[in-house]
Amino acid sequence: MYGYRLGAIGIVTTFFIIIFSTVLMPMVLFNPKASGRGNDYKVIPLSVGDAARGRQIYVREGCFYCHTQFTRIQDRGYGPLVKEGDYVYETPHQLGTARTGPDLTNEGGRFPSQWQKAHLISPRAVKPGSIMPSFSYLSEQDMNDLVQYIQTLGNKRTVTAFVTPPDEYLPTTPQGRGLAARKTVDTASDAAANAGRGIYTQNCAACHGLEGKGNGPNAITLEKKPPNLTRDYYKQYPDEHWFYRISEGVTGTRMPRFQSVLTEEQRWYLVAYLKTLPKEHEETIDNLDQLNVAEPTRLPVLTKQVYEPHHGKE
Amino acid sequence: MLAGTEFSLPDLIRGVPQLAMPHLRMWHVNAVAIGWLSMGYVASMFHMIPTLCKCDLYSERLGNFTMWAWNILMIGAFCTLLNGNTEGREYAELGAILDVIVVIGLVAVAFNLYMTIVNRKVKKLYVSLWYFLGSLFWFPLVYVIGQRTFVALPGLNDAIIGWFYGHNILGMWFTTVGVGMMYFLIPRFTKAPLYSHGLSMLGFWGIALFYAPTGTHHITQSPVPEWLKAIAIISSIFLLVPVLTVLTNFFMTMRGKWGMVVTDLPLRFAVTSCMFYLVTCTQGPFQATRWINWYIHFTQWVVGHAHLALLGTFSFILTSSFYYCMPRLTGREWHSQGLIRAHYWLKFLGFTLMMTSLTTAGLVQAAGWALGYPIDQWGLALFPYWFLRAISGFMIVTGQCIFAYNTYKTLFTPRASADSTVKAREVKV
Repeated sequence: MYGYRLGAIGIVTTFFIIIFSTVLMPMVLFNPKASGRGNDYKVIPLSVGDAARGRQIYVREGCFYCHTQFTRIQDRGYGPLVKEGDYVYETPHQLGTARTGPDLTNEGGRFPSQWQKAHLISPRAVKPGSIMPSFSYLSEQDMNDLVQYIQTLGNKRTVTAFVTPPDEYLPTTPQGRGLAARKTVDTASDAAANAGRGIYTQNCAACHGLEGKGNGPNAITLEKKPPNLTRDYYKQYPDEHWFYRISEGVTGTRMPRFQSVLTEEQRWYLVAYLKTLPKEHEETIDNLDQLNVAEPTRLPVLTKQVYEPHHGKE
Repeated sequence: MLAGTEFSLPDLIRGVPQLAMPHLRMWHVNAVAIGWLSMGYVASMFHMIPTLCKCDLYSERLGNFTMWAWNILMIGAFCTLLNGNTEGREYAELGAILDVIVVIGLVAVAFNLYMTIVNRKVKKLYVSLWYFLGSLFWFPLVYVIGQRTFVALPGLNDAIIGWFYGHNILGMWFTTVGVGMMYFLIPRFTKAPLYSHGLSMLGFWGIALFYAPTGTHHITQSPVPEWLKAIAIISSIFLLVPVLTVLTNFFMTMRGKWGMVVTDLPLRFAVTSCMFYLVTCTQGPFQATRWINWYIHFTQWVVGHAHLALLGTFSFILTSSFYYCMPRLTGREWHSQGLIRAHYWLKFLGFTLMMTSLTTAGLVQAAGWALGYPIDQWGLALFPYWFLRAISGFMIVTGQCIFAYNTYKTLFTPRASADSTVKAREVKV
């Protein structure tokens, strides 16, 4: 009899030790401060929809079963990494477990609100091949709130400070002015871009991919993955910045210093080509015949003014 | 009590993610976890514990009360979850009132069974009773901690507790009760004594010690504290110890008796369950390590793993237990052995197909995420696997319908006509 009592005490003690170490201890020790990059949905101005209510709808419709809300180091194209303090206002948490659909951590502003709404109503009309169910049964109000919530995701995580090329590449210094004076290539011209294409294929495509999406065959082997150069972010790069990156490589990655391989002229040709890389999510039509058959998708319009994320709150 | 479990069966598996899929998903998880497995477990325990203690259940009335409470709960869950009234926490979706009913039900069950064990006629406790006692103590507590109904924690702490619960509903309830049932059933079917009592004790304490802290391995790549992840991953790997001891024990008990799976259908269910247990529990620790998690996380591979545990292992052992208990409880033989055989093959083949398709789909997805391709580029490649999964789900549901039909016929057929179809299988209580 004594043996069983000992056993019972053992079970109880073990269990409470475990509860103490994995439930209570984290609650006491782990109290991240708000990082300022997560949204407090209660204080978002009600411009079109109510983001706090939209979040409830997100929960109610069970979006989190297929969409995650945290980015990992290895994810590319899903925006900045999350930090501990980003989740202070997220109750109940919507981290999610499976990515049957894309990650939504930084979804806000990726598509216009009309697109989001059309996507909710009829996913396959705007995104062929998607397996997302249609949420057309939501009321107008619900839909607007949900879109508003989606558009606030990751808003505060947008990049505001950019890396700039060192002064010796800028016309503010004698070296920079010398560089500009030696530049004989018109980087805005098609001819220069065409000349750069071959250089790109030979030197860059193995890692960066033929379309600059960072998915070249060598990318598998790299710890730090090559970037997706078709992202919006790269469209604001000035010529000098491209030139600096090509010449000096990127510290901490396998991107080499091409100034030892390519001449200055070749590097400018390359810059011209890089500027012509397609823009992500941009609709392109390969051939004129398609213009005649393509049905224009009628996007539903939001009831109030169009909400522009990233520029809404100053 | 057994009849009460039937209504949650048809939703054991969902088909292709289609209309209002998230709602179905909520209901699916809860129907499987709370409805099918928990109810079946409690039903089995209500039979096994008195048998092992050689005495009657402490209170039949309390048992019936639990049954009604649970069924009302499931009706409530059906109505609320399909309408999206959820708390938005995976595995803990039920609303506040339903949570309270669950806790009342669990406490009533635990009290009932503890009192049965206190009144037992045999002195020594069989290892199954250890498992049942442990689970009945852990699970109500884990459930209360896990629901977070009346507290609002900041996001990541919410996630930590959520996964403590999400993993321990498996670890401290489905696994421990399921393994306890295996310990009960396998020696009974084979009529062989358990290979080693020492090993079984090692297995029990191993699970008690290493299962509970593993929850955080579900969020190894989110910004929760590193030390918590380390605890979770290390104890996940240590879980190999109890799993291997438990299975060694079963397989050594089975030695010389493997031929019996051909004729003895409930044993066949039980052995299949052990085999799937081996697979799921070797997958688990490896998935929990950082590097494999890096690749596999977020994909259908994990969904496959979850189905392997809940469907492959614990549904099979539960079905085995049903096939074992029903004749002993009602004094009637099963309506048709052929239907049991059909049930087995539909469920087994259906599940194997599902597992294969989900795992393959998971690997496709993992490659997609790891190489950073946009989902649009490889999403369509998954279609064949979704389709196969739907077929397998259909097969399993058919199997379960056959099972339900068989149960119904067994329970409600007059004895005279039922006897004619019965083949020779010993009934010995």
